Amino acid sequence: MSSQEPGTGGKQPGALGRLWAFLRRPSARYSLLALLVVGFFSGIIFWGGFNTAMEVSNTETFCISCHEMYDNVYQEYKKTIHYTNRTGVRAVCSDCHVPREWHYKVARKIAATKELWGKLTGTIATREKFEAKRLELARSEWKRMKAADSRECRNCHSFESMNTESQKKRASKQHEIAIEDKMTCIDCHKGIAHQKPKGMTEADES
Amino acid sequence: MHKQLIIAAAAAFAVAAGGALAAPPDWSKVPAKKITVFYPGVSPMEWIMRGTEHGGARGIKKGETCAGCHDDETADMGKKMVSGQKIEPNPQKGKAGSIPVSVQAANDGTNLYLRFSWKQPAGGGKKMDAENQVKLAFMLEDNKVELANIGGCWSTCHQDARTMPEAKDDKKTKYVKGGTVGSGKYYDLVQWKSTGKTADGYVADKRVMEGGKGLVSAEGKNDGGTWTVTFVRKLAGGGEGDIALAPGKTYNFGFAIHDDHTEGRYHHVSLGYTLGIDKKADITAAKQ
Repeated sequence: MSSQEPGTGGKQPGALGRLWAFLRRPSARYSLLALLVVGFFSGIIFWGGFNTAMEVSNTETFCISCHEMYDNVYQEYKKTIHYTNRTGVRAVCSDCHVPREWHYKVARKIAATKELWGKLTGTIATREKFEAKRLELARSEWKRMKAADSRECRNCHSFESMNTESQKKRASKQHEIAIEDKMTCIDCHKGIAHQKPKGMTEADES
Repeated sequence: MHKQLIIAAAAAFAVAAGGALAAPPDWSKVPAKKITVFYPGVSPMEWIMRGTEHGGARGIKKGETCAGCHDDETADMGKKMVSGQKIEPNPQKGKAGSIPVSVQAANDGTNLYLRFSWKQPAGGGKKMDAENQVKLAFMLEDNKVELANIGGCWSTCHQDARTMPEAKDDKKTKYVKGGTVGSGKYYDLVQWKSTGKTADGYVADKRVMEGGKGLVSAEGKNDGGTWTVTFVRKLAGGGEGDIALAPGKTYNFGFAIHDDHTEGRYHHVSLGYTLGIDKKADITAAKQ
């Protein structure tokens, strides 16, 4: 019988127990520095791997791999200026729907696990189900964007960098009103990348 | 000799007395304002004021006029609507999106002279009004109707008027909500039709095509595809539903052209502008 570890209550340790014991035992062969350096670089690789995997979930390819997205909102987005502007510049799903800052991003990713449940239970798996839920989904996104002061819009567009003199008269007047009334992008620009849902009320006006 | 003198004097007297026969101005000396009338699709006041459909509702609530934002893009707007791309469920094939019109105005102390000139666009659409190839009407308002200072005659346009998709009564005309002649809440309406017929009426709680005494004459001619319509209208008005025009004041103004045998909502309309009698406005009718 191998020597028993203290605190095992006299029982023979199983595979897990032996692994745990191995990990807890101080290193006999390697220096602390060696362990730290290996650990440090392993951490970087692990972190890189984790982040890469997370960023894969931000690609357009990943988003439209679900037919719910591909058949509905993706087709609508392709007809808009965020798909292609006059010179071919494009914003993809994550540019608007996933925050750039790490802590906001991770928080959103955790919240998004709810969508996995939706996918499993097919809450918007058909065109009819999607249309029935469209207003609710839109309002949820508008609420999130408004709470963040249209943070994702402002990653590219901002009142500070906006040159209202170069804009069309109608746009420059509306933006001046928006600045004056301390409004946020999503107050007016609902429907900029996907069709506006039916049944919007006065409450949705801002 | 004596007889000739009497005839000459009588003629001179007749001309002087009948202010209506006063000569129109030298139009080559009257500045022209280019106003592009456009096809408005289905855009009644109910749509205009709904923020989720029309972002401009916010601006309107802050006192911004339609022309203030849209003046330089009416051709683009007309193009979008006439093609059915936006707010038009029944696009008419071949219909022009917009028509640039030259508008001139003048007065001589007694009459207002208005002259509209435009090049006829290609047509060939369904003949809704077989009799009249073209009609032109303008409306004047004395700063009492809600939002008339914002949108000109747009305040008469509602979703339940005949030829509109939501209409239930095919006799319901344009109207002003709560409008009556007595309260001053109405538009003076003057119309010329290409058959030569004219009408001088008003739009209060409904449209009435008669009763006005202001219109002296309305003449139109087509010169190789260019229409020119000239109105002579007594400044004082005088009839039921007539607005009395006074020097030094401005009025709300708008006009529409029913081109290519159209009727009802299938016209090209102008945004709201101000007409000033001897006062600088969007369109100034200066004394000649």
